Amino acid sequence: MYAVEMKNITKQYPLVLALDHVDFALKKGEIHSLLGENGAGKSTLMKVLYGICRPDEGTIIVNGKQVDLKKPKQAIDLGIGMVHQHFMLTPVMSVTENIVVGCEPVRGVIFDKASAQRQVQEMIDRYGFQIQADQKVKELSVGEQQKVEILKAIYRNAKILILDEPTAVLTPQEVEELFRILRELKKAGTSITIITHKLKETLEVADTVSVLRDGRMIQSDISTKGVTTEELAQMMVGREVELGICRKTQSVGKVRLNVKEITLREKEKTVLDKISFQLKEGEILGIAGIEGNGQTELIECLTGIRKADVSLIEKDGEKLEGAPGDFISRKVGHIPEDRMTRGLVLELSVRDNLILGYQKLFQKNGVMNRRRIREFTENLLKEYGIKAPNISVKCSSLSGGNQQKIVIARVFSEDPDVLIVAQPTRGVDIGAIEYIHERLLKLRDEGKAILLISADLDEVKNLSDRLMVMYDGRIVAEGLPEQFDDMHLGLLMTGAAGREGLQYE
Amino acid sequence: MSDLMSVITSTFSMSVPLILAALGGVLSVKSGVMALGLESMMTMGAFCGVLGSFYSGNAVIGILAGMAGGGLFGLGHAVLSVRYKVNQVISGIGLNLLAVAATTLLMQIIWDNKGSSPQVASIDGNVFTSPITYIMLAVMFFEYFLLFKTRFGLRLRMVGENPKAASTVGLAVHKIKYIGVTASGVLAGLGGAYLSLDHLNMYVRDMSAGRGYIAVAIMILAKYNPFQVLLCALIFGFSDALQISFQGRGVPPQIMAMLPYAVTLLVLAFGARHITPPAGVGCHDDD
Amino acid sequence: MSEKKAKLTAKIIIEKYMSVVALILALILGGIIIFVCGYNPFEAYASIFEGAFIGKTAICQTLIQATPLIFAGLAYVVAKRVNLINLGIEGQLYMGALGASLVALMPVSLPTPVLIVSALISAMLFGGLYAGLVGAMKVKFGSNEVIATMMLNTIAQNFISYMVNYPLKEEGKTLAQTRLFDETAWLPKLVNGTQLTIGILAAAAVCIGVKLIFDRTRLGYESRCVGLSIPASETAGIKIGKVMIIAMLISGAISGLLGGTHVLGSDHRLIADFSSGYGFDGIAVAALAGDSPIAVILSGIIFGALRAGCMVLNRTTGIPTEFIDVIQACIILLVAAPLLVKDILRIGKRRGGRKA
Repeated sequence: MYAVEMKNITKQYPLVLALDHVDFALKKGEIHSLLGENGAGKSTLMKVLYGICRPDEGTIIVNGKQVDLKKPKQAIDLGIGMVHQHFMLTPVMSVTENIVVGCEPVRGVIFDKASAQRQVQEMIDRYGFQIQADQKVKELSVGEQQKVEILKAIYRNAKILILDEPTAVLTPQEVEELFRILRELKKAGTSITIITHKLKETLEVADTVSVLRDGRMIQSDISTKGVTTEELAQMMVGREVELGICRKTQSVGKVRLNVKEITLREKEKTVLDKISFQLKEGEILGIAGIEGNGQTELIECLTGIRKADVSLIEKDGEKLEGAPGDFISRKVGHIPEDRMTRGLVLELSVRDNLILGYQKLFQKNGVMNRRRIREFTENLLKEYGIKAPNISVKCSSLSGGNQQKIVIARVFSEDPDVLIVAQPTRGVDIGAIEYIHERLLKLRDEGKAILLISADLDEVKNLSDRLMVMYDGRIVAEGLPEQFDDMHLGLLMTGAAGREGLQYE
Repeated sequence: MSDLMSVITSTFSMSVPLILAALGGVLSVKSGVMALGLESMMTMGAFCGVLGSFYSGNAVIGILAGMAGGGLFGLGHAVLSVRYKVNQVISGIGLNLLAVAATTLLMQIIWDNKGSSPQVASIDGNVFTSPITYIMLAVMFFEYFLLFKTRFGLRLRMVGENPKAASTVGLAVHKIKYIGVTASGVLAGLGGAYLSLDHLNMYVRDMSAGRGYIAVAIMILAKYNPFQVLLCALIFGFSDALQISFQGRGVPPQIMAMLPYAVTLLVLAFGARHITPPAGVGCHDDD
Repeated sequence: MSEKKAKLTAKIIIEKYMSVVALILALILGGIIIFVCGYNPFEAYASIFEGAFIGKTAICQTLIQATPLIFAGLAYVVAKRVNLINLGIEGQLYMGALGASLVALMPVSLPTPVLIVSALISAMLFGGLYAGLVGAMKVKFGSNEVIATMMLNTIAQNFISYMVNYPLKEEGKTLAQTRLFDETAWLPKLVNGTQLTIGILAAAAVCIGVKLIFDRTRLGYESRCVGLSIPASETAGIKIGKVMIIAMLISGAISGLLGGTHVLGSDHRLIADFSSGYGFDGIAVAALAGDSPIAVILSGIIFGALRAGCMVLNRTTGIPTEFIDVIQACIILLVAAPLLVKDILRIGKRRGGRKA
């Protein structure tokens, strides 16, 4: 018996065919993993099911009845709930308000706040969450916000639950907790689809897997028993991939960047607490941690975007301070964590983006040298294999991988001594991930000093020569990557293990 | 003594239209649509009010017509900025220009006079006896109740804060915005009708004279709170009143006229940091 | 596939010339309004065309009307480049007019070129600084520039009114205006026997200058980045506050030139409330020009022609000149609403299809 059957779903966007006659079926009471790379069409398929976007072709059958979903309201009424990758929450409002809005308990026309709060608190207690119903959402951690999202679906009696990349922002412990909740829901009869590109998790929590690639269903309804991560990876990418490269540094040289006691307070809260470290040439220093524990602020302090309250940054023994422009001219390169907002001006051309940050080098007395810019950018396009029709197209029309390559190409080509690299492979396809990792290792071997901040644990562990763990604005542990196992890292990242990292000798 | 009394009276009577329009503006902004079109809605309210009274001979019908006229432009602003995703500033300014031009054109066609309409039936008495004053007070309390106590208010605020989230929980985002912005037009229209049918008894070219913009400033200074709107509007009304009572006493009226604007400017300069509009202003639910 | 491609190209072309389509729709709307007013729209437009383009006087009148519109449109475009909405052109042009008048009223005799150049520089300074204040407030305090400029407009208008009523008032007269400037301070005529001055050349030159700054300079590059993405610009080491303030200074200086050329070229004295809302006309001009400085010249001339033609129309047929303001408002709204224009076109097509 199927909870959902989707047949022959096709969706054409102006430039890409997002879904190409895709069939998908979700059995009642199963956890079904929808596996695929970024841009494979997983999210689109589920948005179709949730009524956010309409397919050009195809039929959808929910609980045995054919339906025509035009808006989320219809999906909700059919008992479908969705936890979006980017949470659909309103930070300034309370947990209760966020959960009940749309089907609020009322007395007449008046919103019955007390009863709503009681119901929500009951739900919270039933699942053993540590949240208060009257808390403002902005006070919650990312993991807690996700729980609010799940409660939102449960409150609406969702019998079919879709989760879009639910583990992307969670610690190993939170992932465990999430899986516990999902299993509990499954026991209660809920059918669950999780969209993911993580293989291990798929095998751990799902009963069934379907793999999408380039908008086509490669294989559906695979039982997780008797399939290996390697097989799944091959289906996902379409060729063999090497999972996890590990090439450690040959030679570590002198200290390039010396960071002493960066401290930052904001709104009565210590965001960064005496962070000190040394970054040496020829090494990659990784910082692991859950987002929102000060990484963003640390990056901003290290690139001149933000001024710390106390800070002494020395590059090659000389004080480094000032505005972002000064940091760039002192040869500190920056790959921002969010290429869409900080890394690129999406509405500008590829050409203009390839000199962004280095525009000073292409002008004389304020007049830009247009010929040099053209030659330079055309070369970069070739050298980095950026797939763009020409240098005049807008960056917004490129894929995530090519966009990220633009950011990387312009920073790498200016030969920085120190690199602050944040989330370099987020939202990027496997091909580009491999390429970017290769490039980073090559730069390290050339003697650059690289600081790598990533929420992807596998990535920091694989690439880093040294690893630090950040929690609540502090460095709570430091050591070699192989000294940390995932569970312990998770404890450190949530502060549960305290300041004890240096025990690894 | 009578001086003091007249200052107080004119303070209040200058404030009433501003408060009405600003209260409207709050509804619009809380639903996520910038309220720069208030000027057009007040202009339409003043003009349609006189038009209604002119043809019916009844001031009450005139006022209803004024509200309808304002509401119509409110709906227009909503359709342009919500359905057609026009930049909300441009939509507001465009409608303001359209309202002034269209009313002046219509004045010439209907009354063959560029400057003013004939006198029409209007509401007698001063600000303390005018029913519109009491309607305004009622609206203020009702709006607070609506926004913060009712189900509709919760939904409206949710739509204004995060239209995408609101749409994924199945709220009718567009409908709610249409209601919020149209209601802002109705209220601004009532404020306009007060100008032409209570304050005066005719329509004068460009009657709103920038009051819609002041209402926007008031609404921001009041942090989008209905009760604080009253206080902020009274400051403007008071300085307007002073200006009238200082006329012909040696102080150049232009200097007096500049004062409330200068004050607003200062507050904007030093207080703007503490005023945050709903996060979803200017955002759409489907991109 | 090729059919698809052809459709796509057609779409791109329509997209590219959306403002022209919007302009045509607005003119059709204007025709309907004229018709409803009881006049023949075809005759009216023919008469407008004649009044705007046929004969030396007509063309000069068009260019006279276009001059302030080009300045205003360009001032709006420059601020828009850094994503600021300059609704304060009105106030800045008043300050610019004051700046020019103060120089023109100086009791020293200077040769015409020196006097005019220094008066215009003064106009640019006054207008520029007045707008720069808004930029500084935005950068320093995060004040909303839309509201701030609104407030500054009223303040400027009242201030000028105060100046011509008190300190600068022509002695012994009742009107709120200064004395007539000496003829050495009048902008030279471009065509004898008309009111057309070199102001139009200045306007066109400034447009070209701005175009060069936009396309060829680092300031042009950085302003574009700031206008499109503040976080990315910040990361790229661009001094956002500086770029924004410079853009506002330039925008205000252009508005100041509008005021300066107006008092030196047309009124020859400073009069209270002389502007007929040029600041807001600028939005229409800029909207039609699609925020391109060169297109502003063309767009300014189109609006100038409508105005010039409409004045003739009013004289000959009595159609109120206000209808031009209605058309202008429609242009702003339609140009800003490409989705609406597409909807209207679709309806038109369906109707056409049914007939066929």
